[in-house]
Amino acid sequence: MTSIREISEPSLQVVGRRIPRVDAGERVTGRAIYCADLMRPGMITGHIKRSPHAHARILAIDTSKAAALKGVLAVVTAQDFPVVAPGTIIPFGETGADAWVSALTVIARDRVLWRGHAVAAVAATDPYIAAKAVDLIEVSYEVLPALMDIETATAPDAAVMFPEHKPKGFDAANPAPRNVGGRTLIERGDTAAALATAAVIAEVHTITDTAHQGYIEPQACVAEAEATGFVTIWASTQGAFQAEIQTAVLLGLPQSQLKVIPLETGGAFGGKITVHVEPIAARLAQKCGRPVKIVTSREETFAGGSGPAAAARIAMKIAADATGKLTAIDGRYVLDSGGIPGTPTTLLMQASAAPYQCANLRLDGWEIVTNKPRTEAYRGPGGIQAAFALEQAMDEIALKLDLDPLELRRRNAAVTGSMMPIGTPFPTIAFTAIADRIAAHPCWREPLAAGHLPRGRGLAFGYWRGTSMTSAAHVTIAGDGRPMVTMGAVDISGTRTAMAQVAAEEFGLGVADVHVAMGDTKSVGYSDAAAGSRVGRTMAAAVSYACKDALDQLRARAAQRLQCPLSELAYAGGVFRAGAATISLFDLMRATLTEGAIVGRGVSTKLPLGVETAAHVCDVEVDPETGQVTILRYTAFQDVGRALNPPAVEGQIEGSVSQGIGWALTEGFDYAADGRLRNASMLDYRMPTALDLPTINCVLIETPVPDVPYGVRGVAEVPIVPVAACVGNAIRRAIGVRMTHMPMTPERIVMALRAAATEPVPARA
Amino acid sequence: MQELHYSRPTTVADAVVALARPDARVLAGGTDLIVQVRENRRQVAHVIDLKRIPELNAITRQADGGWRIGAAASVGRLGRDAAFAAEHHALLDSARLIGSLQIQNRASLGGNVCNAAPSADAVPLLICLGARGVVAGPGGRRTLPIVEIATGPGRSSLAAAEILVAIVVPAQTGRWAAKYLRFTPRREMDIAIAGVGVWLQLDQQSAITGAAITLASVAPTPLVAAAAQTLLVGERLSPKLIAAAAQSAADEARPISDTRGSADYRRQLVAVLTRRALEACAGELGIHGT
Amino acid sequence: MKIVVTLDVNGEPRQALADGRDTLLQLVRDQLGLTGTKEGCSNGNCGACTVLLDGEPVCACLVLAAEAQGAHVTTIEGVAVGNALHPVQAALIKFGGTQCGFCTPGVVLSAVALLDRVAVPSDADIRYAIAGNICRCTGYGKIVEAIQAVATSRQEASR
Repeated sequence: MTSIREISEPSLQVVGRRIPRVDAGERVTGRAIYCADLMRPGMITGHIKRSPHAHARILAIDTSKAAALKGVLAVVTAQDFPVVAPGTIIPFGETGADAWVSALTVIARDRVLWRGHAVAAVAATDPYIAAKAVDLIEVSYEVLPALMDIETATAPDAAVMFPEHKPKGFDAANPAPRNVGGRTLIERGDTAAALATAAVIAEVHTITDTAHQGYIEPQACVAEAEATGFVTIWASTQGAFQAEIQTAVLLGLPQSQLKVIPLETGGAFGGKITVHVEPIAARLAQKCGRPVKIVTSREETFAGGSGPAAAARIAMKIAADATGKLTAIDGRYVLDSGGIPGTPTTLLMQASAAPYQCANLRLDGWEIVTNKPRTEAYRGPGGIQAAFALEQAMDEIALKLDLDPLELRRRNAAVTGSMMPIGTPFPTIAFTAIADRIAAHPCWREPLAAGHLPRGRGLAFGYWRGTSMTSAAHVTIAGDGRPMVTMGAVDISGTRTAMAQVAAEEFGLGVADVHVAMGDTKSVGYSDAAAGSRVGRTMAAAVSYACKDALDQLRARAAQRLQCPLSELAYAGGVFRAGAATISLFDLMRATLTEGAIVGRGVSTKLPLGVETAAHVCDVEVDPETGQVTILRYTAFQDVGRALNPPAVEGQIEGSVSQGIGWALTEGFDYAADGRLRNASMLDYRMPTALDLPTINCVLIETPVPDVPYGVRGVAEVPIVPVAACVGNAIRRAIGVRMTHMPMTPERIVMALRAAATEPVPARA
Repeated sequence: MQELHYSRPTTVADAVVALARPDARVLAGGTDLIVQVRENRRQVAHVIDLKRIPELNAITRQADGGWRIGAAASVGRLGRDAAFAAEHHALLDSARLIGSLQIQNRASLGGNVCNAAPSADAVPLLICLGARGVVAGPGGRRTLPIVEIATGPGRSSLAAAEILVAIVVPAQTGRWAAKYLRFTPRREMDIAIAGVGVWLQLDQQSAITGAAITLASVAPTPLVAAAAQTLLVGERLSPKLIAAAAQSAADEARPISDTRGSADYRRQLVAVLTRRALEACAGELGIHGT
Repeated sequence: MKIVVTLDVNGEPRQALADGRDTLLQLVRDQLGLTGTKEGCSNGNCGACTVLLDGEPVCACLVLAAEAQGAHVTTIEGVAVGNALHPVQAALIKFGGTQCGFCTPGVVLSAVALLDRVAVPSDADIRYAIAGNICRCTGYGKIVEAIQAVATSRQEASR
């Protein structure tokens, strides 16, 4: 809420100004259209039949009774979709993706892999008939053993989920343990030797429960098939092009016959990149010739109808010399992928080691397949789990050496040019500047006032690598000279507003003089998903390029009109000028629109890396008798590169912190041994209410990324990374107990205090 | 979800008649029932809406100083009755823990009682205050103590065609105070992991002349901690006495372990909340140093 | 069973055919086309479907359509007068209190009801009033700030 910004660029007129969202009006009046709001003529309702078992072979599916029910117009099972083989790589971000994963996620073929996995679907004329039809579908299963956690799945006698899957890094001589989806090892120096000779070692073993992104709008879409075969899908998605490519492959449809129109997205946070309902709705629509809407219920969304965030077990061992200089980071990261292999571990491994300079690293990442819903991305995927281990271990080092935790981090902080975990030098990185700001800030300088209950202050650093991928935009100029931008990326975080600022800046106009629209997949060029905090930076670049391209075309026309050489033509604030002669953009377009459209084109790709860095400070109060944690004060420091629109950046930080606090303290899925999710409601999956959160203060530091238009950095992922560790460190300082199981629920705190009471009293900070 | 028929009688007699069908169920605030029906947890074909029956909506102070609360009156409405709020702020505070404001504008005390959830937040103090339910059925009317209504999770002692018409909170005499405390991981929108309602009555010399302790979420029904009550009566409040009562209440609890909390943790919460509720009552009664 | 429900929505007389199982949420969204009221959980746990029923905020998912017979309902579409925004709406825009926007209609109605009831709400009053509206994007700070600003300006105007 309170925000302090360090730098402003006087040369910028619109970029960096605090402006309201251009689309805020339709949001506060209820006019914004989300998928569930869309009405199409003749539209009917789709419902999905889901597995009651966590792991079972599908022996037979009898849909005849459902199909015979009056009002049921279509029924589908996996048999209605082409088989997609493993290794069907489709374009997707920087690495591509395996469409086999999407196909298996959307509907089970011969085996259900988690409870709630889709097995069939119906389309009916009203939701009550659809629900009844789903009940009438008979599925016979052969129930298989359910692997509900990492231990069970890797036990020597565990059933192997994907015998045909051969994870890299293993061979006959060195066979993979059971249900390993993949392994990544990053090694540098001699970690064992450094640990053997260290002055001090801290070891923290953490467990993180599966959590959910918690978007308030469930998974939703509307699909419509024309008699010609053309299919239109209105989607709640982070990436219209990703939805189109996945759906096209899953349906066996050429992309020329499929259009995805992104509507407003009611929260996504990583959970709406993979398609869940789109191919099913499309196939139902094709079968019955009617538009079909599917909106998942909250229970479906939580229990198998979407991809939650990975549970993790991390064993973190770090060593330092007597001055606090880190000499080794030895981390073992085990992620629970859920029912399909393919959860990457490298980003979180880097996130956990990158904040500090350390000569000896051993980062050993594993992903394990279990019978939970296939996990998907959630805001800096893995970052919060990784920092929960590393930053608590850092706090242990500070305690053992009796060092100020900020000073310990400052002594070790990565700096521009120091080595990244993967062995290349860091581009500009701001940990030192952030540390300076913290040292001078009241949230750190002011002593924590004593209260009736124990209090403590925590600090944690956070790092996220950031990414680029690609974005496209075009700009055309209206007959009155106003620029009209169409962007290929979905706006999930205020992108239209920020891009309006960029376009206004480029043209020297006001925000109200430009229009920015989200394109659909048939109106604009390919853009990767709005994911990985990439859209702000790469779309700003694409829009900037498109505007410059348009301006070049306009210049040629203006020079012709003013009968001057191009070199003598200047442009500023909507007016071309050559000596005393001028022509406004308005007059130029009024005069020349019909000579041909101006179309400026912008594509940005592989932008220079802009790493995201943050540090958080919080004060907590703990009630040792009930375990309740109250966050008294929370301050987030972050290098945001350049805040295109500061309130939007603060909004991303405040939202990240609130999600982080939720996961840190109360959010975790509770699976029974048979795979049932015991807390599949918004009552028992406890996301913070307004009464559970403090005011979150933001301190924005701006160190622009060189060679990137406007120097923009990703801002929306790193602010969740340090949260749980920051709160955990504050709890440790308050009550002397190190909490290693996340969420750190009141009960877990009480039990940890009880366990500690039977041990020797730990040193109070 | 089967078809649903809705009716809205305006008299208790009509409601009782409508309720005679085996697949009928009364609807007060609906905040539990509508969810149960949608999730097929209750098979209901006829809902009998009680909110248009004047008697079930009335909130009246009786001649003897007691209060008669229509079983379908919303918690929101109860809170807007200034006289009730002044006299029974503890009871009102407990009712205001039910869900959000949106829920409280629908949910009723009668529903909280009859839905028979072990975690019902308004019920412990109703029991502590000696409240009785007025029940109407085909055979006429009867009253019974609120404590006798819940018989298990979601089960009540009311006959199939009986309706809870009103809750009567008897006049409270002498120096008395009440307090309900619950523990939830979130501050709002949550279900008690454990809850404790306490009522104390003192004589002029501050000896305890009456004590009631009722526990939530630690048994199949709201649970009266009888031994803890007995410990208190005739004594004077002291830290030692409060600790003993708190320990007794914890011992009397019969919690289970589920997704919301372990039995062990719930028992500890009962001890803590009992102590704190007793201390709060002592504070309100001007007894310090406890 | 189909029933005819006659009610006043946003000051206009409306009549709709509803299924006996339909909730007020389905009535306003599907029968009346007022899709500003959102469905986030269907169980009264998220507040996205908050409407005012006879002036009081309720979760429309927990009210049967049949129960709304004769009632006065205000949905988000009835908060602004024409294109003149309610001060709460204007403040949410100004302070950045709406992001994905899915919880926003419910938040607006909870805030409007609070300000109708309490002249000068405290920070705690505001947080309590919107505690039934789960927002996943903002962390609530900018929402609370916006509502506080409306209360403050109203207080100043009345001096």
